[in-house]
Amino acid sequence: MEQLLAALFQLFEPTHLAFLFAGTLLGLIVGILPGMGGTSGLALVLPFVFTMEPSHALAMMIGVLAPTTTSDTFPAVLMGVPGTSGSQATVMDGFPLSKKGMAARALSAAFSASLLGGVFGALILSISIYYAIPIIMAFGFGEQFLLVVLALLMVGALTGDNLFKGIASCFLGLIIGSIGTAPITGDPRYTFDTLYLLEGVPLVVVGLGLFAIPEIVGLLDAKGSIAKSLNTKKGWFTGLKDVVKNWFLVLRCSTLGCLVGALPGLGGTVVDWIAYSHLKQTTKDTSQFGKGDIRGVIAPESANNAKEGGALIPTLIFGIPGSGNKVLLLGGFVLIGIEPGLDMVTTNLDLTYLMIWSLAIANILGAGICMGFSSQISKFTLVPYYILAPVMVCLIFFATFNFNRDWYDFIGLMSFGLIGITFKNFGWSRPALLIGFFLSTKVELLSYQTQAVYGLSFLTRPVSIILIILCLATIVLLTKQKFDKYYRSDFVKGKLTQIYYNIILLCLPLSMIWFTINLDYRANLFPISLSLIAFFLLTFILIIKIADLKNLSFLNYNIIKFARSNIFEIGGNFKIQIYYYLSFIGFLLMNFIFGFPIATALFINIFILFHNKKSYVSSICISAALMVILWALSSLLTLQFPNGLIGLFIDLPWWLGGQLN
Amino acid sequence: MSLFSFVSVASADVNFSGKTITWVVPFKEGGGTSRFARFIQPFLKKYLPGNPDVQIMHIPGGGAIKGSNYFEKNAKADGTFIFGSSTSVIVNVATGNPLVKYNLSEYRPVVLLPQNTHWFTRSDLAEPHDLSKIKERKLVLYALKTPASADLFHIWIYDKLGIKGAKPIPGLSSSGGYQAFLRGEIHLSSHGAANYVKKVKPEIEKGKVVDLMTLGIIGADGSVSRNPLAPNAPTFPEMYEKVNGKKLEGDDLEAYYAIGAAWSQASKAMMLPKDASDEIVKAYRDAATKMTNDPEFKAKALKALGPFPLIIGEEAGEIIKKAAVFSDTTKKQLNAALKKHKFTYRVQ
Repeated sequence: MEQLLAALFQLFEPTHLAFLFAGTLLGLIVGILPGMGGTSGLALVLPFVFTMEPSHALAMMIGVLAPTTTSDTFPAVLMGVPGTSGSQATVMDGFPLSKKGMAARALSAAFSASLLGGVFGALILSISIYYAIPIIMAFGFGEQFLLVVLALLMVGALTGDNLFKGIASCFLGLIIGSIGTAPITGDPRYTFDTLYLLEGVPLVVVGLGLFAIPEIVGLLDAKGSIAKSLNTKKGWFTGLKDVVKNWFLVLRCSTLGCLVGALPGLGGTVVDWIAYSHLKQTTKDTSQFGKGDIRGVIAPESANNAKEGGALIPTLIFGIPGSGNKVLLLGGFVLIGIEPGLDMVTTNLDLTYLMIWSLAIANILGAGICMGFSSQISKFTLVPYYILAPVMVCLIFFATFNFNRDWYDFIGLMSFGLIGITFKNFGWSRPALLIGFFLSTKVELLSYQTQAVYGLSFLTRPVSIILIILCLATIVLLTKQKFDKYYRSDFVKGKLTQIYYNIILLCLPLSMIWFTINLDYRANLFPISLSLIAFFLLTFILIIKIADLKNLSFLNYNIIKFARSNIFEIGGNFKIQIYYYLSFIGFLLMNFIFGFPIATALFINIFILFHNKKSYVSSICISAALMVILWALSSLLTLQFPNGLIGLFIDLPWWLGGQLN
Repeated sequence: MSLFSFVSVASADVNFSGKTITWVVPFKEGGGTSRFARFIQPFLKKYLPGNPDVQIMHIPGGGAIKGSNYFEKNAKADGTFIFGSSTSVIVNVATGNPLVKYNLSEYRPVVLLPQNTHWFTRSDLAEPHDLSKIKERKLVLYALKTPASADLFHIWIYDKLGIKGAKPIPGLSSSGGYQAFLRGEIHLSSHGAANYVKKVKPEIEKGKVVDLMTLGIIGADGSVSRNPLAPNAPTFPEMYEKVNGKKLEGDDLEAYYAIGAAWSQASKAMMLPKDASDEIVKAYRDAATKMTNDPEFKAKALKALGPFPLIIGEEAGEIIKKAAVFSDTTKKQLNAALKKHKFTYRVQ
């Protein structure tokens, strides 16, 4: 109890509060930008946290995570586009309300529901910390192994539009994660004798590549400004009254959000839908749902903020992430030297409390800012994307370079960017890939550790049996709910491209087998088993795809039907997205030649002017402002910018990419 | 008298005023070597002639090889570059990792910060300071991160103590290993001094855990004394004698000294490049000696660095040579232990 209060006082020190506030602001912004969410936000912050004090870094990271599901309501209500995957259900009633001219009511109801849900989640987290020690002690290697495997399967099954493609994404992530030094024997796997691959591609680079780049490219493809007009003036008070009136619904959905969040692997992607369907099942008069019922906003919004508190439980005590953003949070823990597990509830308890308080305060702060400055913040949705995009690309490059100061990271970034774009367009699951990538080493080690201590007997331990039953039940229930809708792909264009892509994906497991087959069995057993499973899954998907293309009759049997559902994805305009992607590569080349600062100014101006020749004032102002920000950041953090070839011939000042000394 | 004045003139020639000293740490921020560097940093500025700025440059990656190779390639010998070494940096050299491009044994060490390892087990498995029950067990599980690290020494130690059931569980960090130990999944566990005080001592006081032994503190003359943090626990040489009925000597003693130098005496180190002149080395060593007499240092050192006094001077150079260059007999001993436990990894 003393520590709990001490952590609160620590958080109210000006520096802590400043970091929390900065994180919250960033979280709000990435929440508003459709597609960008906590994962991209954390990936941007992570390259900077390791220069900070651990407690500052934690306050900032939680600050980024907590309010994304608050501010994502802006685009959900105003434009009918979910700001993050956690507000998909909010669109159902939020957008109709806004069309009826009740946007302000919907927003204020959503923000106050978010606030209550978020604080409730923090409360549940702090209570469960008290009971964590016996739980940690009951989870040996075998139980942890099961937990990780089942988390992976759930993520795969639930984040993909197609069950098999989701699980295959997971296995591809596991295979990519096994690149590098084999943990048992130290043999290099799939490294082509490079020091860079020996450690595997850094998590931050993977996160930025998989999430941030595809979203930017996708939004550029969608074109134009984001929202058309704003009407958020009247009705704030009505929204607050709605929440007070529905307090019991808020409580129920917060509890639900916490529970679902705490199940490893389930995380953020489904919680809003679960809350929404709970609302439908428990309401007598369902006639207004989908047409603008305020309860349809309150239920998912309280649940998706409450889930953060729940999701932190497995993250902190087992190091098992439930969603993409928790993967990056764990990556941040590694950077600042915190190991999840027993330490979090014993020697590092002060840091755990600090996170809980940060979570509660960031939720209050986030909702407060959203309500107080709603008209200013919602203008963010009016900024044309061709102005936001180049700025974001520059920030991503800056973050990437700052992480390791290694040019190879850009190759990693662009490669994973391409994987991200193709995954998104062809309907493979990026969260599953990221979580598989992150957990790969852990799965491999746990399988050896379990084998050494228990053999197969771990399956008969009581906790294991409970885990297996629990997770099987969840998977069956949720997949039934999700894949019952039978979907045919008659109007998907470019099916052949997606079939070719499937064949390209097959090369990964095959080449992994080829390159590791001659190693010691303790070094290749894991990647080869994964590769075999992935190979069969991908082949199966390929067969279904071809059969779907040829419209073969065996696909109409009931068992095969759900394998066929969403086997093809209706992506955006793939060619345009690749075209934007190539412009980022152009930016990379400019970096090589001119160094980062000059290339940034050039890129922003060229990019904006290319889209709108008249906006040279804004392009010059924005690039100048960004230069000032970068200059301030670099002197604050004593960073040296990537310097290009030009720096070898001309003596540039250090803030333009010259030598530091 | 004349000799004295000569020396003081020589060190007066070294002046870093207006310069920036770059301290390359081949690890991430927040790790032990980084903390060591950050603690020394302000004192270095205070006591080096000319009070230069000292900046710490972290170059993590490749199991400390990336940063170490960077230092070898880029460090200037004029005293403006120093290197933060640790046991893993040394073990990379000593075990002949082919990616290593730095010749650590020729570097000029300024300060070494020793550490010590404690071994312990559950109270239901053995009496304090007594291995006999452990040796009777068919299966004695212990945590081992990877054989290509200092954890390799565990394999040798358990082998020399005749623990036949010893079986490593791979891929466990010391903290993860300790958790598994508390859950009752592994039988033998070990920790460095700092974590021993923080995490193990409370369990010993509760009666759940008992001390077995410590690595022992090796003096300049080769004598081994007990660890002040666990004064009742025997040192490895004492345990060896009790178990084997003969003194630790010959090849075994040589291997123990090599392991002790790498693992314990040179656990953290600050070094100058190999071409640094004697004057520069002396200026640094003088600054380090003054630092240890600083009242602020004395007040904070126990908490930040642990109870073991810093090693400064020529003695440090001898220890680094011993730690970084394993003799053929020592390598043979380690490889025999690796082979016995079916590891494919070999010391080169």
